[in-house]
Amino acid sequence: MIPDIAQEGSAQEEQWVPEPKAPVVMFNNVGKTYGRYQAIGGVSLALSGGVTGILGLNGAGKSTLFKLLMGKLQPTQGEVRLFGTNPWKNPAPYARVGYVPENENMHDWMTAHEFVSTFARLHGLTRDEAKQEAERVLEFVGLADVMHKKIGRYSKGMRQRAKIAHALVNDPDLIILDEPLQGCDPLARTTIMNVIRELGRMGRTVLLSSHILSEIERITEQIVILHQGRLLAIGNLHAIREQLDNIPHTIEIECGDAKALAQDVLSLEVVHGLQFPSPTKLKIFTHHLGEFHQRLPKIIVDNNHDVMVINNPDDDLQSILGYLTGGYN
Amino acid sequence: MGKKRGETIWTSLDRKATAIAEFTIRQYRTRISTWVVLGVGFLAISVVLLFYIDAMNTDIEAIDNDGDSYDWDGDGYVNGQEIKYGTDLNDAFSHPGLLNPPIEPEPASMYINEDDYDWDYSDASSITTGYDNDGDCANSSLLLSQQDGNGDGTPCNIILRYDSLNGGYIVFADPYVDEDPDEDRYGKEAQHRAFILGIGKLGFVFLLSIFIPLFLATGLIRDEMTSGTMQYMTAKPIARGEIFLYRMLGYLAIVWPYLIVVCSLLALVSGFMGPGDQFFRFGDLGVWFSILIAALLATLVYGMLFAFLGVLWKYGIILALPIAAWELGMALLSMSVPESSFLRMSIVGWSMSIIDSGAYLAWPDMAMFTQAGEWAGGSNQGDTFLMFGGNELPGYGALEWAQSDLGLGLGPYATTVVSVIVLLFQATFFWFIGQLIFKSKEIV
Repeated sequence: MIPDIAQEGSAQEEQWVPEPKAPVVMFNNVGKTYGRYQAIGGVSLALSGGVTGILGLNGAGKSTLFKLLMGKLQPTQGEVRLFGTNPWKNPAPYARVGYVPENENMHDWMTAHEFVSTFARLHGLTRDEAKQEAERVLEFVGLADVMHKKIGRYSKGMRQRAKIAHALVNDPDLIILDEPLQGCDPLARTTIMNVIRELGRMGRTVLLSSHILSEIERITEQIVILHQGRLLAIGNLHAIREQLDNIPHTIEIECGDAKALAQDVLSLEVVHGLQFPSPTKLKIFTHHLGEFHQRLPKIIVDNNHDVMVINNPDDDLQSILGYLTGGYN
Repeated sequence: MGKKRGETIWTSLDRKATAIAEFTIRQYRTRISTWVVLGVGFLAISVVLLFYIDAMNTDIEAIDNDGDSYDWDGDGYVNGQEIKYGTDLNDAFSHPGLLNPPIEPEPASMYINEDDYDWDYSDASSITTGYDNDGDCANSSLLLSQQDGNGDGTPCNIILRYDSLNGGYIVFADPYVDEDPDEDRYGKEAQHRAFILGIGKLGFVFLLSIFIPLFLATGLIRDEMTSGTMQYMTAKPIARGEIFLYRMLGYLAIVWPYLIVVCSLLALVSGFMGPGDQFFRFGDLGVWFSILIAALLATLVYGMLFAFLGVLWKYGIILALPIAAWELGMALLSMSVPESSFLRMSIVGWSMSIIDSGAYLAWPDMAMFTQAGEWAGGSNQGDTFLMFGGNELPGYGALEWAQSDLGLGLGPYATTVVSVIVLLFQATFFWFIGQLIFKSKEIV
């Protein structure tokens, strides 16, 4: 509320130079509270390069993290650095950042081409350069054929892609996508996922958030798990899984004869419990998910079991969070 | 971006600033509320214009200010004719018909508006004016000393003396001189000037310049912040102060042409419709120009102020309303007490100064002209020989209400320059505060 005189505000690209050794994104013990509600607390994180998925339930603080990074919010504690610069004080680093907000409101009265080219000019491009750039990025996200239609008439997936296109203008080094897959149909999801994977292959630093593990899994293995505003885990998704191995997991198997399968499975020492919800369904409890999955195929093949479905109901974010926070629900 | 060949000043400007300004213009154009606000403003001005056109086409009823069209004694000869021939007004057996040779009675209409003003309004320095058109001063039975009531040595004239203490002129008139002015001639001119000043001050500087920014500028930044679309703009390498400024440029690019068009339209209509023998009243254009300048600056300052209030608080329009009420009070105050120091704490007061300066330059005779309306052939000075007629001339009241003197104690040019500088300073100040608040606002 009180004006911050120290804010620089001028965004001259030629004056601003990123610190060469600084990580692209750096949070140092960052906290953000709204009144009494703590959205983020004590988050420390440094990222450079690659595609990183920020996982967390709704309200975990993913959007807050991004907004801190984009200088929309001022941290209540700690420091945020974008290419070594404080984004709250200086918007200059955005010359190298593309941001796709979660917000679904867009300028519906513009065409995607106008939308992208108008905002491209804020990077300091001329009218003609912006037009060319808009065509390039809209082609990249697969909207070239509809780019002269009003955004208001777009489907959800097309709107998301238009937002992504606007963020890709000026070829940024860092791309931040807040829930880019939310509300999209499967086809749009696949298209957007391909775009993100492609950006990762091009060597850009990509940050994307989601509350659906399987979505992130299809894009990247590098994840950050946020829970109730705290950093719960960082690193490779499979490595995190391994850590989870010695806590009980449930596996549901639908097969022709549940009892026969149960007899064979019981021979594995990693199995410590069984349940028969129906004659064709078997629930297996194990402490070592990885080992169990290694040995299960051999049992099925050797004994000629007729297996229709293998399901890991625990293998979603909710369960992982449950384990990581100590509860088994 | 490295410098490229063919880089001109325009292409270097034609990036962020024009991108946001164009974006803002197009955004306004797609909103129906913009057209409603501008349309209602035009409608309101047009209604007043219709009243003006109607007034210009309606003859003002002639009033016999000196009462000499009456026939008191009922002898068929009106008082004026009896005065001219020196017969008794109150005796039916004394009239010009009994003279030798007998005189035919003249119609009463010859004695209405028969002695109009002969004041040279265009020469503000002239102090001796007036001419006894109907000859009832010279031909009357008055002694020579009575014919020179103001004692300047010349009978049957009028002396105007400038009253430096209270401003304006004091009329010292010999009896029966310019005592029955033409209401229509004076009233049309007075109404015409009152219309221009009134619509300029209350129509343009108050109504349009406050309500258009109130509806169009308050949400300039705020609406985007509320809907979340500001996320796109603030994610680009551009300072928020620049966003504020360039959005403002877009707003001005809608509002200023609108004001120019409406103001020119009114200047044209009133120029052709206005009283006088000339084809077009070019002399009024200076006033219209000052009205336009005042309105352009007022919409700029109010725009900056209201956009700032919108940034300050989600319900910025609630903060803007008491300011609009204050400005209305100041607008009315500036028309009655232009030297009040309260006006220095307003936007409208400075804008009004510009219009008053324009009117002062375009109509240098204003002080004498209003005095003529108040004097009304002497009927407002309690002269004994005038028992009939109204008080002021028609149109005088409206003009007196609409016009005001220069309140700053400076000449017209200095007043204009000072007012323009103050208004520009106010705009810059509100922009500076506004962008400072905007920078410190979190965009959720």
